[in-house]
Amino acid sequence: MSLKRITKELNDLGRDPPTSCSAGPVGDDIYHWQASIMGPPDSPYAGGVFFLSIHFPTDYPFKPPKIAFTTKIYHPNINANGNICLDILKDQWSPALTISKVLLSICSLLTDANPDDPLVPEIAHIYKTDRAKYEATAREWTKKYAV
Amino acid sequence: MSITVQVKCGQSKWEVSVNPEKTVAEFKDEIAKVSEIPAANQRLIYSGKILKDDQNVESYKIQDGHAIHLVKSGGGGGNTAAKASTSSQESNTAAPGSATVPSNIASGQTGGFNPLSDLTSARYAGFTNLPSADMFGPDGGLTNMPNQDDMLGMLENPIFQSQMNEMLSNPQMVDFMIQSNPQLQAMGPQARQLLQSPFFRQMLTNPQMLRQSMQFSSMMNPSGGNDAAAASFPAPGDSTTEASSTEANTDANANTNANANTNAANPFAAMFNPGSNPLASMFGNQGVGAADNQQNQPFDPSMLASLLGGGAAQQRAEQDNRPPEERYEQQLRQLNDMGFFDFEKNVAALRRSGGSVQGALDSLLNGDV
Repeated sequence: MSLKRITKELNDLGRDPPTSCSAGPVGDDIYHWQASIMGPPDSPYAGGVFFLSIHFPTDYPFKPPKIAFTTKIYHPNINANGNICLDILKDQWSPALTISKVLLSICSLLTDANPDDPLVPEIAHIYKTDRAKYEATAREWTKKYAV
Repeated sequence: MSITVQVKCGQSKWEVSVNPEKTVAEFKDEIAKVSEIPAANQRLIYSGKILKDDQNVESYKIQDGHAIHLVKSGGGGGNTAAKASTSSQESNTAAPGSATVPSNIASGQTGGFNPLSDLTSARYAGFTNLPSADMFGPDGGLTNMPNQDDMLGMLENPIFQSQMNEMLSNPQMVDFMIQSNPQLQAMGPQARQLLQSPFFRQMLTNPQMLRQSMQFSSMMNPSGGNDAAAASFPAPGDSTTEASSTEANTDANANTNANANTNAANPFAAMFNPGSNPLASMFGNQGVGAADNQQNQPFDPSMLASLLGGGAAQQRAEQDNRPPEERYEQQLRQLNDMGFFDFEKNVAALRRSGGSVQGALDSLLNGDV
């Protein structure tokens, strides 16, 4: 079941990937993918390419995939380990979601962070109080790690 | 035989035919012809991977009709928003193959969903809980908790603070805490709200606040037991004490405040003393209850009220010498409800567990008393 579904998603992604995301298996293991997200042009991450790792559970799509950034990124909802604070990866997961949709959600998280439910409170604080400083740091990190 | 792939770059799209045996560098030259983006400024991404110049196109298993992404790097093109961040990257474009592969961070995959993985990883090591001489009581056990100053010192450590924050903002950790604590479980969804509320987080991480509430709790309950916390751990806004008057409102606030730290002078001692405090599960040492707390009064909000009114000191003094049936009234009733009717045994068990019903049950069931 999971194998069939993942293969289908892989095919769809190859044929018609979302504008700013791309994903596929790392090697021969179909349950272990890597993905890349291009920093949205209207965000401080513009110009960067961010890599993520995706692990599918064997009971996918009934359980959410485990997705984490492998590229360092300065963002209130993404911590130093690359873990992402996103409801659809946790309790709001639905089998109707696909990797493509999840990656798009992560893209929109890059454009619009959610500082009220932060994973890194320090960044969330700066995001709320000194937006210019946040954007400058995010741009700097993007330049340093994602270009 | 060649394949045709779609090259996508933002809103633009080109179809490019390429012989799969060619190298990526040659492929980029092909793309440069149609896209007018110099090959050196191209980054091609397929299947989540950056295509390296010296590899064959075929090694990436690009299939006919599939799409690949093109990202412009370096100065020149790009829209206005991107310019700001890409303008100074000329140096990178010289060798895109090697320079553009970002430095990865290793973790993020190993931890999985184990809520404890964060706690056990090395980055947490070294700054808490290294036993100091005064951590151990005369009996050599852990019955004596780190003293008040140690605790506050630990709390003032910014690393500790940020970790508390991180821990509490990790939904898995919160789940885990709720799951491993029956009281929190019983509270249902409110427990999650409580643990995630900024107020609670601040409470756990703000040394001033802790010191304040410690003074409160030691004033009214010098060696108060854990059950105090267990018995009255309402979610803010869900408290029955929050009746209508403004006074009741102060109660509810101070109530939660004190609850987190009810365990006498050590606000975090409860962390090491499982049974009531949600944070107990973090340390998991199930056998380390405080030996025999002299007094285990359920926290009484009205006491706080009268304290705020200024007259509680005497009230407390009176309670010191109360007989066990009065002191453990609530716990004994609970034990009776559960079918333990032997008064002597119940009291002995409660004494042993420091007033914790859970602990008393353990010893009753094990036949220790």
